[in-house]
Amino acid sequence: MKTEALIRLLAWLSPSFPTGAFAYSHGLEWAVEAGAVSDEPSLLGWLSDVLAYGSGHTDAVLLRLAWRTSDAALAQVAELAAAACPCRERRIETLAQGEAFARAAAVWGSPRLAGIMQAGPVAYPVAVGVLAADHGIAEDAALAAYLQALATNLTSAAVRLIPLGQTSGLRVLAKLEPVLLRVIADTRAASPGDIGGACFRSDIAAMRHETQVTRLFRT
Amino acid sequence: MSRTSAAAFRYEPGLSPAPSSLRAGLQRARGLLDVKFRRRGEATILESLRQEGCLKARLTRPEPGSWTCLVALNCSGGVAAGDLLHVVLEAGEGARVTLAGQAAERFYRAMPGSLPAQLRTELQIAPGAAIEWLPQETILFNHANLERELDVRVTADAWFLAVETLIFGRTAMGEEVRQVRLRDRIRLRRDGQLILQDAVRLDGDAAALLDRPAVGGGARAVATIVHASPEAEAVLDGLRAVLSETQTQWGASGWNGMLVARICAVSGRYARSAVIAGLAALRGARPLPRVWMC
Repeated sequence: MKTEALIRLLAWLSPSFPTGAFAYSHGLEWAVEAGAVSDEPSLLGWLSDVLAYGSGHTDAVLLRLAWRTSDAALAQVAELAAAACPCRERRIETLAQGEAFARAAAVWGSPRLAGIMQAGPVAYPVAVGVLAADHGIAEDAALAAYLQALATNLTSAAVRLIPLGQTSGLRVLAKLEPVLLRVIADTRAASPGDIGGACFRSDIAAMRHETQVTRLFRT
Repeated sequence: MSRTSAAAFRYEPGLSPAPSSLRAGLQRARGLLDVKFRRRGEATILESLRQEGCLKARLTRPEPGSWTCLVALNCSGGVAAGDLLHVVLEAGEGARVTLAGQAAERFYRAMPGSLPAQLRTELQIAPGAAIEWLPQETILFNHANLERELDVRVTADAWFLAVETLIFGRTAMGEEVRQVRLRDRIRLRRDGQLILQDAVRLDGDAAALLDRPAVGGGARAVATIVHASPEAEAVLDGLRAVLSETQTQWGASGWNGMLVARICAVSGRYARSAVIAGLAALRGARPLPRVWMC
């Protein structure tokens, strides 16, 4: 990968790229209130599951499909990604970030991304996959950056919610590395049939967040 | 709207490799149910019914306040690896149909290297029509290998309800599912557009996975309820209210003319009570099919 591509990837997946990621907790806010996530070990357990058996895995498959898919079939990938959300807030989370990401990325230019945005809503991993492919960023690198950004964002949300010390959060992030590597390796042969997971309680947390009374996060 | 014809019932190469166990001469169950209902006056009547292999269907005696109810039976007494079961149900304009499962379905141990059991259910719901798909529990035995698809096509003003309950080992018998391969997918298309793809994908030690915090938190039964109709989001609060009275972990959400609920319970019994409560919130005063009461 060219250094120029790496610089772009770092910019697009940095926490300061205006996707609004800080506003989404992926149901963690409810999990913390319900007591399911309360300290460093329980946070590590929860996030490992979400990454390996939940949205992390599904987003990885979607990003890879988007990266690989030719223009004609991209709309189908986008449709699948929007349909794969298990509840209202998950859908908001991925589509709002996808839209914000695409709008911000327009500065670098991506006619394909602009094209599918016109056809309908585009989930965040799909937007990242398309942009990365257009700018010659390797698929695995784009996925690694995406998953790392997801893990960082959720850890940061939990550090604020529990609350946890910053070093605790960083230890969780460090311990998630093997999980991220496994998701990257396990999804290389991605096909649309590989979408799915078993994070039932994470889904439930996201659903219950919709009626949570005191909320700092949008999801 | 295109419709898969019964003639298309054959091994689908997209799902897994060629059926080597069939070639090897192992006896595997196959079943097809292809049913069409239409509306005549105020009634919903059977237009055509085709039954093949181990799948049979019978119409239940009409009951006051109930829709026309068809009960599907799998005569092979449980599902083994390599079995192929295919159900196609179409409700024509204005028809209202309940399709129920005769009993809980057991999915037995698959020998290493054998094909998955494959179940495919296709529902097609015409304008103003309604289908509810009420199978009973799916009981997974240790080493079960199951690929299941529920494909639903609705129009904007159609009414659809489905429930799927997965039970990972009968807890009352002390069973634990230490090895499983499960692909369970619900796909919902409205006027041709894919609006929901809910896919459960679980491999390996189910008991250990279900003990994980964001997976099952110790659950051994997981139910999913899906509902689509113009009024779906209006009944969400009612569904949440009844689920909050159950001894389960549950969540429910509504968006885009749909409603999805997930229920995690420590055993099939608790999941069943919650499912029955949830169905009551969505089906109003209509009684559950009699086969559900036994």
